Amino acid sequence: MSEAALQPTGAGPLAGVEERQAGAAISPRRLMWLRFRRHRLALASGAFLLVLYVLAAFCEFVAPYGTTTRNDDAVNAPPMRVHFFDADGRFHARPFVYAYRMEVNPDTWMREYTEDTGRPFPIRFFARGEPYEMWNLFRMDRHLFTTDAGAYIHLFGTDPLGRDMFSRVLYGGRISLSIGIVGVVLTIVLGILLGGIAGYLGGLADRVVNKAIEVLQCLPSLPLWMALSAALPVHWSPLLVYFGITIILSLFGWTALARQVRGRFLALREEEFVMAARLIGADTPRVIRKHMLPSFSSHIIATATLAVPAMILGETALSFLGIGLRPPVVSWGVLMFQAQNPLVIELTPWQMFPGLFVVLTVMAFNLLGDGLRDAADPYSTGGMK
Amino acid sequence: MLTRSPRSRHHGCRSFPEGTRLKVLALGKSRQGLAVVAAVAALFAASATGQPPEREFPDAWYEPPKTASEVGLTSFSQSPFLDGRGLPPVEERLPDDPVVIQPYDSIGKYGGKARITLWDSWQFFNWEHALTLSADMRNVLPNLAESWSLSEDGRVTTVKLRAGLRWSDGHPLTADDFMFRLNHVFLDPDFSPVTYRGVRGCEFVKIDDLTFQYVFPEPNPMFVNFFAQYGSHMLDPMHFFKQYHAAYRDKEELDALVEEEGFVSWMAMYRALRDWGNEDASKVPTVRAYKVVERTPTKLRLERNPYYFKIDPAGQQLPYIDEVDAIILLENSQMIAFQAATGQLDFAAFALKTQDIPLLKLGEAKGVNQVHVWRRLHISDVSIQPNYNFDDPKYRELLWGKGERRFIRALSHAIDREQMNEMIYFGRGVPSQVTAHPSSRWYEQRFAEAHARYDPDYARQLLDELELADVDGDGLREYPDGSKLTITFEFLDFETPKSITMELVRDYWREIGIDLRLKSVERRLQAERAQANKMQMTLWHADKVTDILFPLVPDWFYPHRTGWDIAMWNHWARYYQTDGRLGERPPDDVRELQGWGDALRMATTEADRTVAAKALLEAAAENLWTIGTVGQAPHPVVVSKRLRNVTPTGIWGWDNRWTLSYHPATWYFDESHED
Repeated sequence: MSEAALQPTGAGPLAGVEERQAGAAISPRRLMWLRFRRHRLALASGAFLLVLYVLAAFCEFVAPYGTTTRNDDAVNAPPMRVHFFDADGRFHARPFVYAYRMEVNPDTWMREYTEDTGRPFPIRFFARGEPYEMWNLFRMDRHLFTTDAGAYIHLFGTDPLGRDMFSRVLYGGRISLSIGIVGVVLTIVLGILLGGIAGYLGGLADRVVNKAIEVLQCLPSLPLWMALSAALPVHWSPLLVYFGITIILSLFGWTALARQVRGRFLALREEEFVMAARLIGADTPRVIRKHMLPSFSSHIIATATLAVPAMILGETALSFLGIGLRPPVVSWGVLMFQAQNPLVIELTPWQMFPGLFVVLTVMAFNLLGDGLRDAADPYSTGGMK
Repeated sequence: MLTRSPRSRHHGCRSFPEGTRLKVLALGKSRQGLAVVAAVAALFAASATGQPPEREFPDAWYEPPKTASEVGLTSFSQSPFLDGRGLPPVEERLPDDPVVIQPYDSIGKYGGKARITLWDSWQFFNWEHALTLSADMRNVLPNLAESWSLSEDGRVTTVKLRAGLRWSDGHPLTADDFMFRLNHVFLDPDFSPVTYRGVRGCEFVKIDDLTFQYVFPEPNPMFVNFFAQYGSHMLDPMHFFKQYHAAYRDKEELDALVEEEGFVSWMAMYRALRDWGNEDASKVPTVRAYKVVERTPTKLRLERNPYYFKIDPAGQQLPYIDEVDAIILLENSQMIAFQAATGQLDFAAFALKTQDIPLLKLGEAKGVNQVHVWRRLHISDVSIQPNYNFDDPKYRELLWGKGERRFIRALSHAIDREQMNEMIYFGRGVPSQVTAHPSSRWYEQRFAEAHARYDPDYARQLLDELELADVDGDGLREYPDGSKLTITFEFLDFETPKSITMELVRDYWREIGIDLRLKSVERRLQAERAQANKMQMTLWHADKVTDILFPLVPDWFYPHRTGWDIAMWNHWARYYQTDGRLGERPPDDVRELQGWGDALRMATTEADRTVAAKALLEAAAENLWTIGTVGQAPHPVVVSKRLRNVTPTGIWGWDNRWTLSYHPATWYFDESHED
C-alpha cells in the first residue's frame, strides 16, 4: 500500500492509524496545523472565538454588573466613552468615565444624556464590586473592571430599564454560545450514531435512516421549531426551556452530518486497512472505534464547526420571535427581541449590539470551519496554491 | 441592585396577634355610615355645582347640542364631492332639524382623503349612538335621539328620536331599527345563548315610529349610561339585516346563502357584515359619517355618508373630509408607530404607546406630523389580577386563606410606583391602585393610595408572617410546606406598556423573594386560557372606572362576569351570573360584595348609589382585589400636519369611546400648510 493509493479515497490523514508509513517526514497532524496556519482568516477567527468563549465562561467576573441590576439614573443611556484626558486636557494614567447628566427634553420627550465633567468615575481593575456567584459555586465580588461604590460604568449603554448592555451582552453570549456547542454535541452524537448505523449496516437500516433524513430535510425548519417551542410547557423553568430549545434545534440539525458519516462509512468499509483489521479478528465496535472513526474525525470537527452558527442563529431566531428563551434568561436572541422596534434603530441604536455579536460570531465560525475543512484534507490543494 | 430576602424562618403557630388582623371586608363601616356618606354626597354635589369645572373644550361639548332652528340656520350646503351624483338636495337628506356641532378651533373646508389604519377607524369617525357623552364624562347627551327620560321607579327608559334621520342608503331611521337589534340579536336565543347582562329581561315597547321604551322587570336606572356608551351596539338597519336573519328569512334560502358566502352559521355571517369583515361591507347601511365603498383584505375604502345628520355652525353638512383609506395592519403596532412617525398617516393613536412618544416627536421635529399628548383614561395601565379561583389549593390558600390579605398587600408594597412612573412614563403618569377615575364623583384619594407605599421591608415582614421562607437558600421563598412557590404570569401585551411594567414588577417581587415567570401570550390563547380558568395570574388595564361605566360594569370590584380581560374569579362570577347553577359558591364576604354591586346598579336615588359605590371602592382599597401600578398615563395622538380641529388634549379610553365627545366629524384638512 503506497501513499499514492490512499489519496483518491479522500480519506484524509490517517491520524491514529498505528502503522505509520515509512519515510513520511511530517505527521498528518502537523501537516494539518501547517495548512490551517496558512489560512490567516481562520486563524484570526479562531482566536476571536476563543476570546469570546473565555469572556462568556467568565462573564460574572468580566461583567461589572448582573443581568437584572438596574441603574435608575441611566434609562436608555448611550455608551460611555473611556477617557484618559479630562475636560481640562490633563492626562490620567487611570482611565475614567464621566457620570451621565440626564434631562428629559420637554419638546422631544427624549432622555438626553451628556457627560457630567464634574463627576469622573475612575475605572478600577480587579476591584471589589457587585457580589456574584461564580458558576453558581463561589461567592465573589472581584470584577475585571468596575467603579467605586455609587459610581457606574456602561460601556455599551443601557436598556429601557437601566440595565447595563455590556454585562447583558456577555451573559447573553454565555447562553447563545453554549447553546451552539451543546446543540452541536447532541447533533454529533445523533449524526454519528444514525449515520454510522446506516453506513455500516447498510440494507434496511440504511434505507430507513435515509428516508428519515430526506423527510426531515424537506420540512421547513423555522415553522417546525416554532411549533415545537410553542409546545414547551409554560411553567418550565428557564433552564428546562434552555435544554428544550437545544434539543429542538439539534433534532433537525443532525441530518447533514449523518449523511456525511454514512458516506464515509460506506467508503471506508471497503478499504484495505479495515478489511485487514477485520481479518485479524477485530470485532465491529473496535473496527469502528479504532480504525474508521479516527480516519474521518477531522471532517466531523470541520462539519461540526460549520453547524455551530446554525444553532446560534436558530436560538436567536426563536428568541427573536419571542418563542425561544424568555426573560429573565438573557441570550443574544432575547436581547434582540427586546430591541426589535423602530424606536431602537432611531433613538437607542446601541441596544442592537447583541445583533453585531451574533453577526461576528457566525462569521467567525464560518471562516474557522472553512479553514478547518481545508486543513482536514492536508493532501488536497483545497483551492489553495 | 438585587437584594436577597432575609433568610430568617418563621416558626410561630399560624395565628396572628389581634392587632395585625386584617379585615377581609370593610363593609360594616360603610353601612353604619350610610347617613354620613349620603350627607357627604349631597355636600359634594353642591360644591360641584358651585364651582364650574375648568373647561378645556368648547362649552357646546358639555351641553345637549343645538339644532339648526335653535341657532337660526335655514340654508345648508354640501361637499362638492357629492355634486352631480343624482342625490336628493342636501335639505332633504338632512333631518328635519339638523344637529349643529361646534368645531374645536375653526370652521373647516371640504375635501381630502385621509390615510389611517383600521385600528383607528373607531376613533377617526365614531359610531353614532342614540345618546352620547359630555366632554367631562359625567353626563349623557342626546345625539340621534332628541330626548330621553327615565320613569320614577327606574324601570322604564323612554327615547325619542329626531325626525327625518336616514341611513346612508336613504332609508329612514326608526324605532324598528332599535327593536330589531334588541329583540333579534341581544334577546335571540340562537344569536346570544347567554343574554348580555345589560339587557337581561328587557322588553321593547314601540310607542310610535320615533318613540320607544326599554322596560325592565327591575329598576335599571343606569341603563341610559349603557345605552349611551355602548350605543353602537343598540341599533342595526332592520331593512338591510332582515335578509340575513333567520327570523325574517326563509330557513332554506338563508342556509343556502350562508353556504354560498362560506360562513359556519347565519349568526357568523351577520356579525361579519356588521363588523365590515368582508367585501360585502359596502352594502351595509350606516349612520356613521363614512360608509364603506370597498373592502379588500388589506384596505378599507370609505367615503362620506351623504345622509349624515350633523352640520357645522355655517350650515355645511359634516364631515369635512370626503374620503378615508384605512389600511389593515393587524397586530403590528410597531409598523403603525413607524408610519405615524414618518408622517404616512393622517391620524394614529390606538396602537401607539407611551414609549413611542420620543420617536413620534422626532417626526414632529422633522416637520412631518404633530404629536398631541392625551391622557389615558385607565386608572392603572396594568391591573394585576391574581386568580382567586385557581385550581391549586396551596395558591388559593395564599390569596384567600388564613393569611387574609397579607400576600396581596405584600406584593403591592413591593412595587416602587414612583420609579416605575419615572422609567416608563417619563414621570407623567399617576401612581394609583385600581379605583374610580378622578373625574368620578366617588373618587377619593385614599382609595388610590391604599397600600401603594413602596416598602419592601414591610412586604417581607408580611410574607414572613405567612411562613413563606426561603428554605433552599436560592433567594426565593417556598410554600410553608417547603414546595416551590412560583407564579406563572400569562398576559397579552397590547395597548398599554404591559411587558416593560411586568419586567419591573418581576424584579421588585424577586427582591422580596417571590418568583414570577412572565409569559406573553397572543390574543386567542389569552381568551382561551382566561375563560378556562387556567391562568394563575394575569393582567389587563383598568378602564371602566368613570361614572359612565363604573356603576354598570365594576369589573375590578366584585365578581360578576368572566372574559378574556378578566380572569381572577371565574367560578364566583359564574355562580353569580347563573344564580348558583354553575360555578362555585363564593365566600359570604364576596356574596355581600355582589349584593353591593346589585345595589349600585339598581339604586334609584343618588344617595343609595353613593353608598353602594363607596362600599365597593372601600372594599377594593382595603383588600386589593387587583394590584394597581401607574395610570392616567400620557398617550400619543399623532395627526398629520394638515389635519385641523383635533384637540391637543383629551382623555383616551373605552369609557368615553376615545373621541366620541371630541367630534371627529369636524376634523378637516388645511392643505395650504403642506410643504
